Amino acid sequence: MSEWPAQPKVLGTRVPRVDGPAKVTGQARYTSDVQLEGLLIGMILRSKWPAARILRINLDKARKMPGIKAAVAVQDGPRIVRYYGEELAAVAGVSRQACEDALRAIEIEAEPLPFVVREEDARKPDAPRVWEQAPNAPPPRVQETGNVDAAFAECAAVIEGFYTTAVQLHHPMETHGCTVLWNDEGITAWASTQGISSVRDGLAGALRVDQSKVRVITEHMGGGFGSKFGPGVEGILAARLAREAGAPVKLMLSRFEEALAVGNRPSSFQRIKLGAKADGTLHAFEYENYGTAGVGAGQATEGGGGGADLPMPYIYRVPNRRIKQTTVAINAGSARAFRAPGHPVASFGMESAMDDLAVKLGMDPLELRIKNDPSEIRQREYRIGAERFGWKEKYRKPGSSPGPVKVGVGVASATWGGGGSRRTQGEVQINPDGSVEVRLGVQDIGTGTRTVAAVVAAEVLGLKPEQITVKFGDTRFPPGPGSGGSVTSPSVAPTVFDACTRALEQLQKQTGVPDARGENWRAACKKLGVTPLVVQGQWREGLSSSGVGGVQFAEVAVDTETGLVTVKKIVVVQDCGLVVDPLTAESQVNGGVIMGIGFALYEERVMDWQTGVVLNPNYETYKLPGLADVPEIDIVLLNMPERGVIGLGEPVHIPTAAAIANAVANALGVRVPSLPITPRKVLAALGKIPAPKSSAA
Amino acid sequence: MKPFEYATALTVESARQLAGANGHYLAGGNDLLGRLKDDITEASRLVNIKAIPGLNRIEPGPQTWRIGALVTIAQIEDHPEIRRVFPGLHQAAAEVGSQQIRNVATLGGNLAQHSRCWYYRHRDIQCLKKRGRICYALEGDNRYHALFTGNVCISPVVSNLAIALTALDATAVVWRDGQERRMTMAELYELAWDNPTAHHSLRPGDLLLRVEIPTVRPRSAYLQISDKHSFDWALVSCAAAARIENGRIHNARIALGCVSPVPHQVTAANQFLEGKNLDEATADQVADLLLAGAQPQEHNAYKIPMARALIRRTLLQLRG
Ligand SMILES: Cc1cc2nc3c(=O)[nH]c(=O)nc-3n(C[C@H](O)[C@H](O)[C@H](O)COP(=O)(O)OP(=O)(O)OC[C@H]3O[C@@H](n4cnc5c(N)ncnc54)[C@H](O)[C@@H]3O)c2cc1C
Ligand code: SF4
Repeated sequence: MSEWPAQPKVLGTRVPRVDGPAKVTGQARYTSDVQLEGLLIGMILRSKWPAARILRINLDKARKMPGIKAAVAVQDGPRIVRYYGEELAAVAGVSRQACEDALRAIEIEAEPLPFVVREEDARKPDAPRVWEQAPNAPPPRVQETGNVDAAFAECAAVIEGFYTTAVQLHHPMETHGCTVLWNDEGITAWASTQGISSVRDGLAGALRVDQSKVRVITEHMGGGFGSKFGPGVEGILAARLAREAGAPVKLMLSRFEEALAVGNRPSSFQRIKLGAKADGTLHAFEYENYGTAGVGAGQATEGGGGGADLPMPYIYRVPNRRIKQTTVAINAGSARAFRAPGHPVASFGMESAMDDLAVKLGMDPLELRIKNDPSEIRQREYRIGAERFGWKEKYRKPGSSPGPVKVGVGVASATWGGGGSRRTQGEVQINPDGSVEVRLGVQDIGTGTRTVAAVVAAEVLGLKPEQITVKFGDTRFPPGPGSGGSVTSPSVAPTVFDACTRALEQLQKQTGVPDARGENWRAACKKLGVTPLVVQGQWREGLSSSGVGGVQFAEVAVDTETGLVTVKKIVVVQDCGLVVDPLTAESQVNGGVIMGIGFALYEERVMDWQTGVVLNPNYETYKLPGLADVPEIDIVLLNMPERGVIGLGEPVHIPTAAAIANAVANALGVRVPSLPITPRKVLAALGKIPAPKSSAA
Repeated sequence: MKPFEYATALTVESARQLAGANGHYLAGGNDLLGRLKDDITEASRLVNIKAIPGLNRIEPGPQTWRIGALVTIAQIEDHPEIRRVFPGLHQAAAEVGSQQIRNVATLGGNLAQHSRCWYYRHRDIQCLKKRGRICYALEGDNRYHALFTGNVCISPVVSNLAIALTALDATAVVWRDGQERRMTMAELYELAWDNPTAHHSLRPGDLLLRVEIPTVRPRSAYLQISDKHSFDWALVSCAAAARIENGRIHNARIALGCVSPVPHQVTAANQFLEGKNLDEATADQVADLLLAGAQPQEHNAYKIPMARALIRRTLLQLRG
């Protein structure tokens, strides 16, 4: 049973973002907006070698360049760099130009080493080793249940497929970086981060300063998607430069640098064999996958979750299964957690195989899911979604749509946790003039968490959301979790509820006003006299839970002559417990779906095997969906107040790409087994491409 | 970016003088400034040409239209008469980049822009076009590269306007050696066919003044296919222009973009169209002629079926 009010006044109403006006008028202060007396610019020198032994770094000339106030090497003494773009040194100076000139003046002695940047090359036995002491591809981890080989023999239909996904870059609108002030009081860092506490601890640890001497501030933040938990090499360098220069330093990465060293989603190469009984019951599953997390599997990323292992067979239960997974190291930047790590990739592989199996069984793919999906919530969602989407009317046999532009439909599903962090704390200050300030040491990463806090406070205190001032993003406030795993709303909402409930009780007790809410508010607060009331609260049970399911339906049109895929419609059916604010919730859904469209159709980090560089380190050739690529997104949120608040930022991103891929396969009658589904791959799948020049390897 | 001098020219002659041997004309700056920032191009001096009077005019005429080199792509896109008289040019302009880019980018800069090959555009790669030793695209990722070339470099011409203007048989008027020189669109690019370091035929100091477009082809069309639905480079583009009388096509010209270092034209294809009825069979034969001898690389053979579809659709659009 949930403690949320049965007849809420504010909860569940469409409340515009409390910080919307500040954002659209440019008043919201982001990290790069911070201006300080004597602020210097910091810039990083990165390896031009995909692999090299660095023998010596000489900063003397750079230090003497005009306008340069500090120069530091990432590490003293010889070292090995393992990818193009790895950080070597940094300078701080009075202008970007001064820094650029100084970076050119840094002398580096290095011995280039052999390198490898393509997964298939890195797996070869004679491939250059990314880490000298270990092979690039360790032997796979094997999980086996039941008797797989015997089970396949018992199946009425078996399919085999090879499904691949590309490395995806986070590319938040706001790049990584921070502005650091280091004076007698310690370090103040304005960081673009999803975790002010982890940045504080990371900076304190790296710079050997007491945690109490480090303050991290994130007022507004332009996205991170999992790639911005720690201070990063760039944050530590900014702090070191600020110390050496004796002046504040702003170090924000360029778009080019974003493509190299601050995380990505691992690729996948999934070989799937899936078998079912004649009635569609899944019976046997064999799986082999490898993917690359770059030079590391998340160890240097603070984000965790950067490995390439996938949760398989995803949302389905198959009694007999053998799963083999491994990662492949390549000379490229390391993976980091990325919006629902593992899940969109797993969903693409598994849901593709499910549709291929449905074709083989001669079954409607939706029926196959209803038959095999153990989740009660998703069972409801399939029915609601199918109705809303018009699945019955729209679904046709694969490839049977007439004309050169073929339409198709697909469906796919997701699971996610999204529970809150029990250690979240917060406080509320009620002032004698009736104004209210809610303070939590969490951060609003652009998702609308501030608004969620304002809605909850307004509900409890009987006020309007705009009467609440929400202060987030400062390690001086009571601590909360990093924004990852869709935990923020289910952490914040119960905590604010608790703090406000206690504050209200105390206000009423102290002032003798029996019900201080709503119209009595001002009068009650006035009785506080001159001392504001500050009350602490913490996360409590019964206001949130975890475990959500989501189902998405996609309709596409594919031009079979040009290969162009147009997404016409996405229907999203998602539960997230109590919907605090439908506006911010729908905004999360839109963002997740659009990001899924990018994963399905456009996004791919392209490495060059000859030079080891990222060939598309910009928004021009690393293609992100634009408005013209975004279809109608029809959203059904299952409101379940009895379950309390559950996060939804990640689950809504998971099934989009798989649903689109299935819709494309349904349109064409052949599968494009590889993301992103570009016109080139569509034409190839249709057998329309003449054989290439034979000399090419 | 390396330091450079900056000068503003007020006349064509002074622009030429200010440019000297290693000066670069600065128009909208979309291409040039990006190259300077990425250390792809080094300039001793930038000569701002935006203040030269007379180069920013669109001048209609009964036989010939003149469009100045400083006219922005947005002005071409938004000009109601261009839309009617040269619909193919309008379409080509409307597909360039984003609205913000079109607002600033000029006709001259669009025609004279450098290669977009991602090896060429990478700050740390010295390919043949940057006077390095090899072409990396040949053995590398050449998904966006050319099907035809007369040299080793397979970087294609990507200017939308060049393709539309080729179909319309426009003339580029260039200030060279103290006088106006007239070039066909083929001539404007032919050097890039032979010479891997060239992006077009303009020499240092050559100043594009305007293009002149004959009105003899009242029907024209331009189509492109990109990975995305807007704000994306063409993978292949196609433009055609002609006069249609009693259902028959005359004086036709058709060109492909993004498949060759030059706007790709085949005389036999243009001749074949003369007097034909515009139907799918004719279009397919034109496609055969245009694509004969294509030499796809490892990753770009998809451009062949894509070009076929575009050729057919563009020609059929001429029927109106
Ligand atoms: C993200 C992005 C996407 C784009 N997408 C497209 C697209 O889809 N299609 C397309 O066609 N283009 C596209 N462009 C290219 C863009 O249209 C060109 O960069 C632009 O037109 C160049 O014009 P400008 O006036 O800005 O030229 P500038 O950058 O000022 O100049 C470009 C070059 O031309 C020279 N130059 C300029 N004017 C003259 C002149 N009058 N005489 C001689 N030389 C001259 C300059 O010296 C320089 O070398 C895109 C560009 C970007 C950045
Ligand atoms: S295609 Fe041309 S521009 Fe590209 S790498 Fe080869 S030589 Fe350089």
